Amino acid sequence: MKFKSQKVAYWFFAACMLLLTLQLTYGFIMAFAHMGLDGLHDYIPFNAARATHTNLLVVWLLTGFMGATHFIIPEEADRELHSVPLAYLQLVSLLVVGVVAIIGFHLNWWEGRKFLEIPRPLDYLVVVNVLLFIYNIGMTVWNGKRFTTTGIVLFMGLFSAALLYLPGMIYFTNHTFDSYFRWWVVHLWVEGVWELIMGAILAYLLIKLTGVDREVIEKWLYVIVGLTFLSGILGTGHHYYYIGTPRYWLWIGGLFSALEPLAFLGMALFAVAMYRRSGRQHPNKISLYWTVGCAIMAFVGAGFLGFAHTLPQVNMYTHGTLVTAMHGHLAFWGAYAMIVLAIITYSMPLMTGRKLWNNMPGLLAFWTSNIGMVGMTGAFAVAGIAQVYLERKLGLDFMVVQKEIEVHFFGLTLAATLFSVGITLFIYNFIKHGLPRDEMVGDQSLDAEWVEPHQAQTVSAAPAPEKSTPKTGKKAKA
Amino acid sequence: MLSKSQARTFFLVGTLLFSVLFLFLTIDTVRQVPAQTRAKNITPAVARGKHLWDQNNCMGCHTLLGEGAYYAPELTKVYERRGAAWMDVFLKDPQAMFPGQRKMVKYKFSDQDRQDLIAFFKWIGEMDLNGFPPRPSRDLNAGLPAQVTPPAPPSTRADVPAPRPTTQPSSQAATRVGAAPQVAAAPAMPVKFQQLCVACHMLGGKGGRVGPALDGVGKKYNVTSLRKWLEDPQGVKPGTAMPKLPFTAQELDQMVAFLLAQK
Ligand code: HEM
Ligand code: HEM
Ligand SMILES: [Fe+2]
Repeated sequence: MKFKSQKVAYWFFAACMLLLTLQLTYGFIMAFAHMGLDGLHDYIPFNAARATHTNLLVVWLLTGFMGATHFIIPEEADRELHSVPLAYLQLVSLLVVGVVAIIGFHLNWWEGRKFLEIPRPLDYLVVVNVLLFIYNIGMTVWNGKRFTTTGIVLFMGLFSAALLYLPGMIYFTNHTFDSYFRWWVVHLWVEGVWELIMGAILAYLLIKLTGVDREVIEKWLYVIVGLTFLSGILGTGHHYYYIGTPRYWLWIGGLFSALEPLAFLGMALFAVAMYRRSGRQHPNKISLYWTVGCAIMAFVGAGFLGFAHTLPQVNMYTHGTLVTAMHGHLAFWGAYAMIVLAIITYSMPLMTGRKLWNNMPGLLAFWTSNIGMVGMTGAFAVAGIAQVYLERKLGLDFMVVQKEIEVHFFGLTLAATLFSVGITLFIYNFIKHGLPRDEMVGDQSLDAEWVEPHQAQTVSAAPAPEKSTPKTGKKAKA
Repeated sequence: MLSKSQARTFFLVGTLLFSVLFLFLTIDTVRQVPAQTRAKNITPAVARGKHLWDQNNCMGCHTLLGEGAYYAPELTKVYERRGAAWMDVFLKDPQAMFPGQRKMVKYKFSDQDRQDLIAFFKWIGEMDLNGFPPRPSRDLNAGLPAQVTPPAPPSTRADVPAPRPTTQPSSQAATRVGAAPQVAAAPAMPVKFQQLCVACHMLGGKGGRVGPALDGVGKKYNVTSLRKWLEDPQGVKPGTAMPKLPFTAQELDQMVAFLLAQK
C-alpha cells in the first residue's frame, strides 16, 4: 500500500461482506418459499425477499467497486485521495440509504420495477451520494501525477454508470416505455459500463499479479471494452423482443447480443494468456485464482449462458422463466462478484500486512463457493428447462408446473449451502486479516518482493506472521 | 500488430458509432410504440392500474411481458385467460381462491382499485408483442390422441360427494375426451360458471386443470350434497383446493341445476 488514503477501501470491503451475508440469507428465504416452505410469508413476502436479495447484490457490488476504486485510483494517479472524510461520509450515507430502502421493502414501500425497486425519494439520495463519490475520485484523477489507461477506464465506467441511473428515474404511464428505459439502466450497466469497471480492475490486477508490461495489458483493455460497446449497446435489443416494441429489434438485438460473448471471451483468453506469460510468481496465489477465475466464470455465466437464450427464437420460450435466473446467477457471480472478491484478496494483505495468502481457508473458499455456484446454476437450469417445456411447450398451468419442479429447489438449497460455506470461509479469512495498519503505508514490499526477489531485508514493522503463512514471504523495507 | 493507440481508436469510434445508432433506433421506437401498444386505450383507470402494479411490486413475484420474478404466474394474458369477474373475486382474497397453495399477499384493494388493475391487464393483453407469449406447441388443453387417453374413471357412488381435489394434472386431462359434452342439454350454462369455474375445471374439454373435470359431475351428486359442497368446500373436505365462491342464492340454484344436468 503506497498511500495512507487507500485504507478507506478496507471499510468499503467490510461493508461488502456484511451485505453479501444478508443477501444470501434472503436467497435462502426464496429458495424455501419455492419449495412450499413459506412460513415467513406474512412478514417477508416473496417480493420483499426478492427485492432485498437483488438490491443487496447491486449495493454490495457497487460498494465493492467503490472500495476497489479507492484502492486503485490513488496508485494509478500517484497521489493521496482528494478527501478521506468525504469518502467515509459517502460510504456511511450509502449504507444508510440502503438500510432505509430495505426496511421500506418490508413495509411495502418501493417502486416495484425489477432491480430498481428503491423508492423515488431515495433515488435522489443515491444520486447525491454517487455524485459525492464521483467528485472525490474525479478530483483525485484530475490532480493526479499521472493518467493511466486503467485509471481512466475505471473512472469512465463509474461515471457512465452514474449517468445511466437517470433514465430509470423517468416516469412513464405506458408500461412499454417504462420497461424500455429501465433496460437502459439494467442492461447498459451489466452488459456495458460495468464491464469497463470490471475490465479496469482486471487489468490492474493482472498488471500487479503477472508483471506483464502495462502497455500490453492496457492495449487489450481497450480492445475488450471496444468489443463490449460494439455489441452491448445494440445488444440491449435482446430485451426489446416482446415488450411491445417494433419487430426490427428481433434481428438487431439477436445479432448484436449474439456478439456480446466476444468481449467476455476476450477477457478470459486475455487473463489466461497474461497468467501464462508471467515469468515469476506473485506470492498472492489466491488473488490470482480469483482474478483468472473471474474472467473464466464471466465467460461461462454471461457469455455462454447468455448466448444460450439470447436468440429471439429461443428467448420466445425462455423469456421470463427460471432459465433467466440460471443465467443471472452465474453471470453476476462470475463477472462482478468474483472481481470484487479478487481485489479484496489482493488488497487485504497489502493494507493489513498479514500474509494470509495461500492458506487453507482461502483456497477452500475459492473452490467451495465456485463449485456451489455451479451447482446452483445447474439446479436453476434443470428447473428452468423443465418449466419451459411443461409450461411453454405443453401448455400446463403455471402452478401445476411449479409443483413439478419443486424438487429442484431442494437441489438448489443444497448447492447454495455449499456456496455459503465458501463465502463463510472467505469472510473468516477477511476477519482474520484484521484492520488496516498505518505501518503498511509506503510499504510496497509485499508486492515488490517478487519483482525484485533478490532484495530481501527484514521489516520490523510487519506484524508477526500467521502460523499458516508460507515461509516464502520475505519482507523488505521499501 | 495492433498498437495501443489503434486499440483506443477502435474503442472510441465503435462506442460513438453504436451509441448514435442506438439513439436513432430509440427515436424510431418511441414513435412506433404508441400504435403498437394501443396507447390510445390508456384510460385514467389503466394508468391507475399501472401505478398500483408498481406500488405493490407485483413484479416481485409475477412476470408481465415476461419481465419480473418467477414465483407466480405470467400475467400478460391474464385478462383473456380469467376474465374480469374471476379477477375481481380473486383480488379480493387471493388465498381463498387457492387454499393451501402458494400464497399471494392479501392486499386491501378497494372496488375501484380492482377495476383499475383489471383495466390495466386488459390493456396489456391487447398489445402487439411480436408473438409473445408463445402458443404451446402441444397444448394439452387442445386434446391428446384418443388412444393415449384412459377413459374417465367411472363414478359409482352417486350420493357421496367425492370430487377429487387432486393436484395431479394428468388424471384430469385424461377425463375429458372420454366424456361427451352435455352442455347443450337442459339448463343453460350460468354466466358465473363461465366466469369462475372454468378457470379451474374443464367441461367439454375447455377450462383449467386445477380441479377435476366436471363432465359427468351430475352422476356423483344429488341436490343436497352438491349445494353443501358449493357452499362450504372446506367443511366437506378440509384441505381441498376448491374455494368458497361468492354466489347469490339465485346463482347457487342455477349452478346446482346446471351441474346436476351434466350426466
Ligand atoms: C456480466 C454480464 C451479465 C449479467 C450480470 C447478466 C445478468 C442478467 C440478469 C440479472 C438478467 C435478468 C434480467 C431481468 O429479467 O430483469 C438477464 C437477462 C438476460 N441476459 Fe444477461 N447478463 C449478462 C450478460 C449477458 C450476455 C453477454 C448475454 C448474451 C449473450 C445475456 C443475455 C441475456 C438475455 C437474453 C436475457 C433476457 C432473459 C429473458 O428474456 O428473460 N446476458 N441477464
Ligand atoms: C445462498 C445463495 C442463493 C440462493 C439460495 C439464491 C436464490 C435465489 C432465488 C430463489 C431467486 C429468485 C428467483 C425467482 O424470481 O423466483 C434469486 C434471484 C436472483 N439472485 Fe440469487 N440466490 C443466492 C445467491 C445469489 C448470488 C451469490 C447472486 C449473485 C452473484 C445472486 C443473484 C441473483 C439475481 C441476479 C437474481 C434475479 C434473477 C432474475 O431475475 O433472473 N443470488 N436468487
Ligand atoms: Fe441484457
